[in-house]
Amino acid sequence: MKRHVHVVMRRIVLPLVGVACVLAVWQATLSWYRLPPIVLPSPWSVATTLGELVRTVAFWHDMGVSLFEFVCGYSIGVVLGVGLGLLMGEWRHFRMAATPVVESLRFVVPFAWIPLTILWFGTSYVGKILLVAYAVFFVMVVSTTRAVAQVEPTLSRVGTMLGMNAWRLAWQVHLRAAAPTLASAARAAAAIGWIAVVAAEYIGASAGLGLMITNAATSLTTSVVIGGMIVIGIVGAGVSAAIGAVSRAWLDYR
Amino acid sequence: MTTKATAARPDAPSGQGERNAASRPDGTANAAAGTHEGEFVVDHVFHGYIAAGRKTEVLNDVSFRIDPGHVACVVGPSGCGKSTLLGLAAGLLRPSGGALRWDGAPVAIGRNPHLGMAFQQPGLFPWMSVRENVAIGLRTRGQTRRDARRIADEFLATVVLADFKDAYPNQLSGGMAQRAGIARALALRPRLLLLDEPFAAVDAFTRLKLQQEFKALLKLDRPTVLFVTHDVPEAIALGDVIVVMTQRPASVQRIIPVTREDRDRASPAYARKLAQTLECLGVTSDVQD
Repeated sequence: MKRHVHVVMRRIVLPLVGVACVLAVWQATLSWYRLPPIVLPSPWSVATTLGELVRTVAFWHDMGVSLFEFVCGYSIGVVLGVGLGLLMGEWRHFRMAATPVVESLRFVVPFAWIPLTILWFGTSYVGKILLVAYAVFFVMVVSTTRAVAQVEPTLSRVGTMLGMNAWRLAWQVHLRAAAPTLASAARAAAAIGWIAVVAAEYIGASAGLGLMITNAATSLTTSVVIGGMIVIGIVGAGVSAAIGAVSRAWLDYR
Repeated sequence: MTTKATAARPDAPSGQGERNAASRPDGTANAAAGTHEGEFVVDHVFHGYIAAGRKTEVLNDVSFRIDPGHVACVVGPSGCGKSTLLGLAAGLLRPSGGALRWDGAPVAIGRNPHLGMAFQQPGLFPWMSVRENVAIGLRTRGQTRRDARRIADEFLATVVLADFKDAYPNQLSGGMAQRAGIARALALRPRLLLLDEPFAAVDAFTRLKLQQEFKALLKLDRPTVLFVTHDVPEAIALGDVIVVMTQRPASVQRIIPVTREDRDRASPAYARKLAQTLECLGVTSDVQD
């Protein structure tokens, strides 16, 4: 019983304390400076707006588009990033050839590409998907290369001794041994990817959460802007938690 | 003081074309047969590496031979290159000079289906259960899943790990992990078995028991064994010959044959062999009669 109370305390009460603090500061700022709702609506009015929003089809369409773009881009970015990272980790000559390109491109933030993607792909899904893939790709390439190169050398010797060829060694030993590092990189990449989707939609999109917010901003419905931001935060946290749960299940040997 | 024993030297050390001629100075073992099957030869091997711009010599002209089905125990000071020697024997490293030969042919770099090896650090794959760790080598060498599991279970039972076959390596103690590593090497039923201080992390009592088990297992397939150890009594208990190495850069200081009588721990022969080997390693007995 006591233990149960303890769990409730940790899992529910403490997180709520954090949220309550933010809401309190928000409400206090509002009351102290007597801000009009158009500048900063109250937490309560944002909550009611959100309640109305989730009952509209348009909201779920925007959410669906953003998530679709994210999932496609993320999958492409992870697969290609891990693939190239594995090649770079395994094959020294390839690493030497690819490093200058990877190292300089990864500092060109995804947002720098937004004007070009709009120019090339308009406001379609394709531009966003590519942007997310790009953002995720570099996170995964860099961490995969490093993780694969740092695999305990004894494990490689064991693999060779057991009769594995280079491909099997790369696939079954090095990549698998790097999995814990890759899992945390995948989680960090998800955050960056989700940020990239929304940011791209802010600037040019035909649907999506980012567009919903910019539209609301131009029509001065501030509560929708803030409500949208909250949704973005919650979805991002949810995606990150989901990836964390999947990787924990996969890495249960630790 | 070191009369370099020629009892188990490689044949025709500098031989260019006369390697197969019956020109063995020692005339041992399978000289008459003219085949080299199951024979492991270390022939004037040099090995060094370059680190931080400096060349470090590890092995300096190492030569010895292991007859088919025999056990050679390599002893020597720490860091003298014993593990390097095993790496070379396994084809995991390429010698800077000289040659290692198995079945009369140079050891290939990379995969060598004839050999099994237990490493100093067990090197179990942490994402596999103990049983899967033992079975994976059998799978890569073409056994069916079912057979691989059955054989893995058998060998885990012989190293007293039957109760831990579904455990993950991080749940094992150091000694248990080492035993799993030995089971993995033995389960391959290799013709050449390489062991790098396999009983180092095992307590003294279990170690003696494992040595006995190990001897029994060797009778099964009679592999040729290269066994690196720190433990001189262990070398006497298991070896047919003891190869004593010098300090780095290491060469063979002495090759000491071990007979059946030497292994009887209650015999004076055992004490003499122990003293002789330790003396080679620079340890003299304090008590003189």
